[in-house]
Amino acid sequence: MRLEKCWFCSSTIYPGHGIQFVRNDAKIFRFCRSKCHKNFKMKRNPRKVKWTKAYRRLHGKDMTQDATFEFERKRNRPERYDRNLTENTLKAIKTIDKVKFRREETHHKNRMKGKVAKERKEARKELDQQIHMLVAPGAMVKDTSAAKVTVKVQHESTDENRMEE
Amino acid sequence: MRKVKFTQTNFHEKLSTIIEEFPRLDDIHPFYGDLLHVLYNKDHYKLALGQINTARNLISKIAKDYVKLLKYGDSLYRCKALKVAALGRMCTVTKRIGPSLAYLDQIRQHMARLPSIDPNTRTILICGYPNVGKSSFINKITRADVDVQPYAFTTKSLFVGHTDYKYLRYQVIDTPGILDRPFEDRNIIEMCSITALAHLRAAVLFFLDISGSCGYTIAQQSALFHSIKSLFMNKPLIIVCNKTDLQSLEGISEDDKNLVEEMKSEAMKTLIGQGGEPREGAEVLLTMSTLTEQGVIAVKNAACERLLDQRVEIKMKSKKINDCLNRFHVAVPKPRDQKERPPCIPQAVLEAKAKEAEKEKKRLEKDIEEENGGAGVYSASLKKHYLLAHDEWKEDNMPEILDGHNVYDFVDPDILQRLEELEKEEGLLQDQEDDEVEMDVEDLTPQQQKELAEIRKKKSLLIREHRIKKSTAESRPIVPRKFDKDKRFTSERMGRQLSSLGLDPSKAIERVRSKSRGRKRDRSTDHDMDVDNDGSNKKMRARSLSRSRSRPPTNELVPGEGFKDSAQKIKAFKLGKKSVQKRNKDAKKGVDDDHDLRRGWPVMTEVWMNVGGIKKIRVYDFESYFLFGRFHVCFILVSCYTFLNLWIFSDNYEMIFGFISQSSGVLSFSCLLFFLVKFELHKYESHFKLQARLQPNMKWALQNRRKT
Repeated sequence: MRLEKCWFCSSTIYPGHGIQFVRNDAKIFRFCRSKCHKNFKMKRNPRKVKWTKAYRRLHGKDMTQDATFEFERKRNRPERYDRNLTENTLKAIKTIDKVKFRREETHHKNRMKGKVAKERKEARKELDQQIHMLVAPGAMVKDTSAAKVTVKVQHESTDENRMEE
Repeated sequence: MRKVKFTQTNFHEKLSTIIEEFPRLDDIHPFYGDLLHVLYNKDHYKLALGQINTARNLISKIAKDYVKLLKYGDSLYRCKALKVAALGRMCTVTKRIGPSLAYLDQIRQHMARLPSIDPNTRTILICGYPNVGKSSFINKITRADVDVQPYAFTTKSLFVGHTDYKYLRYQVIDTPGILDRPFEDRNIIEMCSITALAHLRAAVLFFLDISGSCGYTIAQQSALFHSIKSLFMNKPLIIVCNKTDLQSLEGISEDDKNLVEEMKSEAMKTLIGQGGEPREGAEVLLTMSTLTEQGVIAVKNAACERLLDQRVEIKMKSKKINDCLNRFHVAVPKPRDQKERPPCIPQAVLEAKAKEAEKEKKRLEKDIEEENGGAGVYSASLKKHYLLAHDEWKEDNMPEILDGHNVYDFVDPDILQRLEELEKEEGLLQDQEDDEVEMDVEDLTPQQQKELAEIRKKKSLLIREHRIKKSTAESRPIVPRKFDKDKRFTSERMGRQLSSLGLDPSKAIERVRSKSRGRKRDRSTDHDMDVDNDGSNKKMRARSLSRSRSRPPTNELVPGEGFKDSAQKIKAFKLGKKSVQKRNKDAKKGVDDDHDLRRGWPVMTEVWMNVGGIKKIRVYDFESYFLFGRFHVCFILVSCYTFLNLWIFSDNYEMIFGFISQSSGVLSFSCLLFFLVKFELHKYESHFKLQARLQPNMKWALQNRRKT
């Protein structure tokens, strides 16, 4: 019994799920569910379909090259059973998983590094430019100009009065 | 037309198959012919078939007639009526032969169950009184399974069984019992066996019940024998005494013995007549008992032998034998000397055979399985013969899947080493991780954040509204502002929105209000005949709604439409309407179809005839023309004249007489006119070339058909 990978979305196919399609050239396509199968029948390229692993790897959303991927490789030559080896392997699988998970997290964090700064900048810009949705431009200009005028007049009158005197 | 023809062909086919499939009594073997005659009356049979034949011919004729008629059908309705009539007639014909078909069907079913008897091959016939043991005998020597019951006439028809003798197949036919009666009194069942006896060239076994337990004495049985012995001509006859377990041949009375001797002598006669070699009398008279099976085989062998001899004799006497004799030759090697020559077996084979016998058996897995409970209970451990470093590992169950990974993919001899390296790497990476990057850009103040949120809300609202408007614009028309029931376009609202934006709305509201029309009532009260208020009137006029453009009457010529005059316009409209009318494709009754054709009244029809080019003239059916047109006109005229005269001269009798003579003269004159018209029109007939095709009158068409 083996867990296979879905050809379209690269998720694991557990026993009892999915469909296998064998093409005339004897290439086997395995699908985890009908969604992937139907997408395949529509001749969609998984590298262009956003939610598949192929797309994510291609566009750098997910980690591509890592040492942890080397551990899991399909071996065609069977090994003679060794109890100790099996025990070690089982333990190793667990640690490798942990390491992989941590590395994925860092990858994601690095990807999202400049996001907050960018968002803030954009918010500031939007506020500056779209303020007319809240306050009409005419109203804003009038207020400022009125304020300026009043100040000037006061200043002159005091000067004149002084001069007359 | 096609439908009628199709139905006719169908009927023809089916009836033909019936007629052909039933055997003609004259064409088959006389045995079968007679059998059929016995079972189903020959005359009745032939009659039924004849009836079907006539029906078939009738249907063909009907179809032919109606197809010809259909060619002259003028309206769809008429054609449909004809088709219905044709099919109906065919159906009535078929209904009439219904009983014959049922009878033939019964015959067919019975015939299918008749046994297949080959009249030309070796046959053995068993006959005798009812209940003597014929069916039991046939059950014994063949694989046939005939009913054996204590009552007479258990066997009601012929049964066939097959048996072998000297590598040859013999048919054994079991017949129903025959009673001793004159020929005419016999019933169908007995006639079956009589027919078989008469026609089949077979060896006959006449069964005699020695014990008399069948209910008939030996005397009666021998009487029967003598009455049907004429049927035994040229057939090897064997008399079989059955039921010897109840009564042996020696134990019967003198009279009976005499009778039996008589029968035996008769049988001997046939033997002698057959071919010359008189053998022992035992060959002709045999005893047996079907119950104890004593002597049954002997009887069979005797019968088969006799038959075979007879057939061989006949064949020898025929001319064909000379051709065959040349081909027969059996070669037998002549012995040279007295030496014995047994078969030769090599020594090694003998030794091997001896060894096999003494070899001991190894304990197999199969034996173990059987010891431990058999196939369903014990399952062999496939891991028993594994070669591992430690034997205790043999029974280990290794997991294949863990956490969504295949364990086999990870199995590696130096996995530990690689894991160590990985851990080291991981440690380094963790140390190298940077702290959080400092933000250069500061966050917005809460006030600003609130404003931003409001801006975004308004924007999203606008977008949503726009999307709704966009999607419904195609399916639903947008209601104009005139019917604004939600009051979204009032000036107050506008004022409120403007003030929320921080602007002064009063000027805008004023401007908007000045441009609106206001209500009707207000208008009338405010501006009643005021010349001074020119401006407002002007405004009213400038804003007044234009009157809807009412359509001019249809006949009136509108210059832009392109018609020469109103008559042409009317015609155009008429043509347009006509072209839109639905065609009567459903074959419903039209105006012309209302006439009862059977009475033969001529129909007054119009035929549009193409006279050179586009122009068409209206020509009436000449027969109906003179009958309706002129004739009726004359009649009307004459009647008017007579009435007038009568009215004028009512009191004066003399004048009446005079008038009557006058009117008769007038009548005769009108008749003359009538005939003249007829002849006249005859002249014109050729001129107008009214051909048969244009004559829609059905009666005429029928007459014409008969002529051709």
